Amino acid sequence: MKVRLLSCVLVVMLLATSFVGCSSKNDTNTSSDKAATTENGNEAGETESNKTGDKTTVTMWVMPNSGDPENNLKEVLVPFLEQNKDIDVQLTVLDWGSAWTKITTAATSGEGPDITQLGTTQVAAVAAMGALEDLTGIYDKFGGEEAFVPATLPTTQILGAGEERYAAPWFIDTRALFYRKDICEAAGVNPETDFETWDKFKAALEKMKGITVEGKEVAPLMMPGKNDWNVIHNFAPWIWGAGGEFIAADNKTSVVDSEEAYEGVKFYTELATEGLMSMAALEKNSAEVEASFNAGEAAVIISGAYEIATLRREQPELAEKIGTAPFPAGPKGRYAFFGGSGLSVFKSSKNKEAAYRVIEYLMSTDAQVAYQRFCGNLPTVKAAYETEFVSEEPLREAFKTQLDFGKAYPSVAGWGPSETLLQKGLSNVWDNVMGVYGAYKPEQTKEFLKQTASECTIIYNQQ
Amino acid sequence: MKHTGKKREVRSPKKKKTGMLERIRQNKLAYCLIAPAIIAMIVIHFIPIVSGIIMSFLKLNQFTLKKFLKAPFIGLDNYEAVLFDANSTIRSGFFDALRNTAIFGLICSILVISIAMLLAVLLNRKFRFRGIARTLLMTPWVVPSFVVGMLWGFMWQQDGIINRILVDILHLFPNKPFWLTGPAVMVAIIIPTIWRQVPFVMLMLLAGLQQIPEEYYEAAKIDGANAWRSFCNVTLPLLRSVLSIQILNGIISYVYSFNIVSMMFGHGAGFPGKYGDLLMTNINRNSFQIWQFGTGAAATVVVMVCVMGLVAIWYRIFQNDLVVDE
Repeated sequence: MKVRLLSCVLVVMLLATSFVGCSSKNDTNTSSDKAATTENGNEAGETESNKTGDKTTVTMWVMPNSGDPENNLKEVLVPFLEQNKDIDVQLTVLDWGSAWTKITTAATSGEGPDITQLGTTQVAAVAAMGALEDLTGIYDKFGGEEAFVPATLPTTQILGAGEERYAAPWFIDTRALFYRKDICEAAGVNPETDFETWDKFKAALEKMKGITVEGKEVAPLMMPGKNDWNVIHNFAPWIWGAGGEFIAADNKTSVVDSEEAYEGVKFYTELATEGLMSMAALEKNSAEVEASFNAGEAAVIISGAYEIATLRREQPELAEKIGTAPFPAGPKGRYAFFGGSGLSVFKSSKNKEAAYRVIEYLMSTDAQVAYQRFCGNLPTVKAAYETEFVSEEPLREAFKTQLDFGKAYPSVAGWGPSETLLQKGLSNVWDNVMGVYGAYKPEQTKEFLKQTASECTIIYNQQ
Repeated sequence: MKHTGKKREVRSPKKKKTGMLERIRQNKLAYCLIAPAIIAMIVIHFIPIVSGIIMSFLKLNQFTLKKFLKAPFIGLDNYEAVLFDANSTIRSGFFDALRNTAIFGLICSILVISIAMLLAVLLNRKFRFRGIARTLLMTPWVVPSFVVGMLWGFMWQQDGIINRILVDILHLFPNKPFWLTGPAVMVAIIIPTIWRQVPFVMLMLLAGLQQIPEEYYEAAKIDGANAWRSFCNVTLPLLRSVLSIQILNGIISYVYSFNIVSMMFGHGAGFPGKYGDLLMTNINRNSFQIWQFGTGAAATVVVMVCVMGLVAIWYRIFQNDLVVDE
């Protein structure tokens, strides 16, 4: 009997470990990788050099930034490869979902590519693991720091931990207003002036309430609520605009519960309680909200520059009825969310010089514009905004305007992990707005922000 | 007699050893054939579980991850954070998740077994489109669970197809309710789970039903038993072993349920909320997504021990049904 009990327990343990294997993506992967690489594993198992004949093969990990990620980037690289016959670039496209696991595994095991794409919020975290090469020395080759849109530069450093730059900013993802010109006209809203400040924006949404298009009532504003990757990105400009911040000047204390941050959260979420934002949309994610907008169900949405490409491609007729406007100014300043990606070189890379040359090329104006034509995002290099890239597409103008007041998240090592906590806290705020805890209570929002701040502070203080 | 023979073997280890070697030699092919499976089991299961347990005693976060198994040893601190420290991030919402998982597991277990039993009994009868019915009923099981989560996630939305049917067509509610927010979330996660789980359990029970000889029912009929009595007195007792395995399978899969919930709420991005967060989504978010790998490992070990407790209870109840006649 005992043997049977033992075997049952063993079966359960095995099943349980299968779970460990599933959920603890990062650590179990590392464990198997670690098993393969011993202390001096950085050298072990790696080929001496990736040189084949006279060619150096630079390996590069990217995420799907465009419709055909591999071929698009290859096409951008063609002129470089033609001029640099000694270099070959081998691309691997990682899915966003699994990329993080692979990158952290590479960072811990030293078995990674030469170049990797990193989200702006990930750079500090991976750099803090000591896995990234300091790129400060090669910035001269890009034309110096002045060559870049200023708001992208802090995302390449670890805030408060030296001047080293661990990434070259590759592209910007920023969010602006997309509005329906015809609905604005019907509601008597002038997009040129009525979207300038929060108060004006709210008044304009009031005017757009109850407007019908082809017999269907259109929501004045449509935004995703909690079930989305972009929960924090959607809140950030409102928090900043009200004078709030995520982290205090000490880089250790979360201040997302400050009175200012609360004001921003309150203003944004109460657009829903006041009937200016579609409640039903709060259950959707960004892609679904964009789809609803493209189907004519909303007057205004806040989305990224990639939406322009989608509109032009999928619904060219509707695109003619769409305009874009910069994010409205809050009482304490005008801010727009700035995210995006950078390119980093792993310390374990054996082909650093070649890798730097590839990055240098990708930072050139031509390559930046060429790549963003595929991605629909925005270049990080200032000079790119003086090209036809902007003038040929009027909808990109608003995004160009936002370069002056774009803001990225504080680039601290704990930011990446804390995003999950912020996501949860702000989800609770949406639950409050949607009446999960009874009637909407503003104090409850305060309570959730307070709890989130204390949880985030723990993470920021971790060493 | 048999027992004494065995005892003698234990007393003389030398003899046993040669016996074992002998047996291995005799069954060389069989051992060769199972060797890859055993090696795979060790690599896939044994090494991760041991490293998982070791990790639960280490301070393992983004700063120490690179050192991995040489990260600072912190004794039982991770366990304290999981079980007692009210300020730890991992404890946040843990008891909500525990409650939700208990409700979810209990309701799913009862409903899945009942529905599967009903369907199995029905499908065991001879009728015209039995083959087609069986095939159709198996479809949900074939759909990967994350796809199930995503599809149902769309359907449960306020302006989704479920509300359209319930409100616009059947007029069951005055307004369209939110299914993915608030207490109704439990309904939204239980129904797809049942939908996906029933076919497999039904298949197992059907196999069990077909093992029961027809004569037993005939005998029951002669004794004057009606359909219900013969179900209670013949079918159920003879299905106990199959049922017990399905109950165990259920306990484990409901406690470790992750995909459906994770995919339903923002396709892995969202937070199911106070009423929908399960143990696994909670642990995944509160430890692995915020890079508290050590604490996460400790939480996983705690859940694993709890499951072993549940299995022990299960074993006490069903131990007699598991004895296979030798």
